[in-house]
Amino acid sequence: MRPGLLVRFLILGLWLVPTLATAQEAGPADVLVSRQLAESENLTVGSVVRLATDAAGTRAREFRIAGIYEPTPDPARLGQVPRSVRLHLPDLLEMTRPVDIPAGAEYVSSVNVALVDPKDADQFAKDVNARLPGVLALPAGEAAGSAGPFRVLERFHLAIAVVTIIAATVFLLALSIMLVDERRETVGVLRLIGLPVRRILVQILLEGLLVAGVGAIFGLILALLSEQLINLFFQWRYDTALVFVRITRDVALTCVAIAVPLGASATVVASWALLRRGGLRLARR
Amino acid sequence: MNAIGFAWRSLVRQPARAALGILGVAAVGALLFDMLLLSRGLIVSMQDLLDRGGWDVRVSAGELPGSGLRISDAVDTAEAISRLPSVQAALVMRAATARIDRASGQPLRASFQGATMRSADPAGSRLRAPWTILRGRDAEGADEVVVDEKIASESRLEPGSEITMRASCVGDLEALPATRLKVVGIAEFPFQTTNETTTGGTLDALKAACGGNVGTEADLILVTSTGDADETAAAIRTLLPEIRAATNTEVVGRLQQTGFTYFRQISSVLTTVTVSFAVLLITVLLTVSVNQRLGEIAALRALGFSRVRVVKDVLSESALIVGIGGLLSLPLGLLLASGLDRILKGMPGIPVALHFFVFEAQALAIHIALLMATAIIAALYPMRIVSTLPIAATLRDEVIG
Repeated sequence: MRPGLLVRFLILGLWLVPTLATAQEAGPADVLVSRQLAESENLTVGSVVRLATDAAGTRAREFRIAGIYEPTPDPARLGQVPRSVRLHLPDLLEMTRPVDIPAGAEYVSSVNVALVDPKDADQFAKDVNARLPGVLALPAGEAAGSAGPFRVLERFHLAIAVVTIIAATVFLLALSIMLVDERRETVGVLRLIGLPVRRILVQILLEGLLVAGVGAIFGLILALLSEQLINLFFQWRYDTALVFVRITRDVALTCVAIAVPLGASATVVASWALLRRGGLRLARR
Repeated sequence: MNAIGFAWRSLVRQPARAALGILGVAAVGALLFDMLLLSRGLIVSMQDLLDRGGWDVRVSAGELPGSGLRISDAVDTAEAISRLPSVQAALVMRAATARIDRASGQPLRASFQGATMRSADPAGSRLRAPWTILRGRDAEGADEVVVDEKIASESRLEPGSEITMRASCVGDLEALPATRLKVVGIAEFPFQTTNETTTGGTLDALKAACGGNVGTEADLILVTSTGDADETAAAIRTLLPEIRAATNTEVVGRLQQTGFTYFRQISSVLTTVTVSFAVLLITVLLTVSVNQRLGEIAALRALGFSRVRVVKDVLSESALIVGIGGLLSLPLGLLLASGLDRILKGMPGIPVALHFFVFEAQALAIHIALLMATAIIAALYPMRIVSTLPIAATLRDEVIG
């Protein structure tokens, strides 16, 4: 790994010794601290802090805060305040190396590789696995695994969406039956003046499509308005820059693709039983 | 005929719309019930899982057990803890990664849980193992292990079989020595996750499996108090201020503030959305239904039905739709909960024995209260329509119309 590359080192196992020193001329090594840690400990750029690997402050070293960074939002750590520090890899290894391990013999948990052509990721991983026994290389897309938490949450949200759609469909059918029933006499008169069933059905279908389309657009506007509110609330609640709700073009199209045919079908299904009756029977009060 | 009987007849007269209304409430109610089960499910399940082992205080180096930090001089620390008057027993636990060689195919990756099986006192009384033996017996010697069902079935092991294990106590890149260990039992590990396989044994067995490269550190010390767990945890904190001691309730409380919060939030959001959805739809159903029967209601008023009586009829109709739908929502909700639980348990790192949806009487009570509120709120507008209905004008409009 290239020396000097900044790596993220979680505060897990790293202790921020509370005594803060003033800036020294000797120039301690630079570190970055997360915004949350800086806020909670009142740290500012230029402050000198002492970091140790245990609470007793054994082998503590001084570092200068070169910057405060906003941690990359990590949904897996939702609710946990990211109190973290980023050190240069040699500094980190120097601090964490057991006394009996010589410099250069340490190990790192992972190495991120950026390829010239990302499409070569599969082949590159295969080559590394073949040439370096004991090392596991995975393309970034596969590293999360097929059962990653977000894929599971996606399935969970999908299941809830399906139940919601079923409930909405049932209600929509009930409502359509009532609305169609309300127009029984009108339909009866249309039948009596000679309009064929197919013609009336087309008219009902067009009406259904129009109502469902307007409903879907109204729903999307409502979703877009609430998107901002939901994100603001949860970002405030968890002190994160994560985006919780995002209405993408695909999501909007999927919603319309489900809502419009569903609404139109419900109207037609509800009307079908009515249209099978004779015109006289329908027009009779 | 009382209001309920009258409302029932109104519903039966329009079976299709009544059935669809009830089914709609049942589906929405099932989702609502599930969200209520989800809101506290993980907490209740985790508390149960922690309490089941019989250890009521957990001592670790980090904020939460399993944070990755280790307690140094663990056996001495456990001995010091067990000397406290409020402590009945203290058990040291250390985990390592292991590979179990197989006759054919890739080695099986597993975790090895090493635990002190005997107390530090001169009598060395046996400690309760942090796993449950299903078949065979518990591991006692330095060459004995217990394995989970998954390892047993995949490697065709039974009590008495032998395995070759390469355990790594320090880092994954160690050159692992092979150790022959005897399987003496098949066990269930309470915190084992769905995608994990586990073996267990004594600390000596762990040391043997790791080729002696263990050190004196441990991941966790489990403590059973003689009485009050809070007092015991406080006593441990006073004795050893550099380590963290938490009762099971405190561990759950900390998890509640971090890992479990997402499901509570999503459950609150979906509960609100579901109830609003139900109120809106039942209001629309009842309003349309009432509007279609304005003439009928005006006629009943003309025949002598009081304003209160027709209002009661509408409220009863709402109560019947929501009540029957709500009843159906319970079995539907439980069925749906088991499906959703299966989906969420696919999440990596979730113990097999942990459940996201757990039935509680409190959740049922809230469900009933919310449905009752839904029935009343949804009926408010249609009740207003029938209560302010002008009898003569409505009848005239109906006759002329």
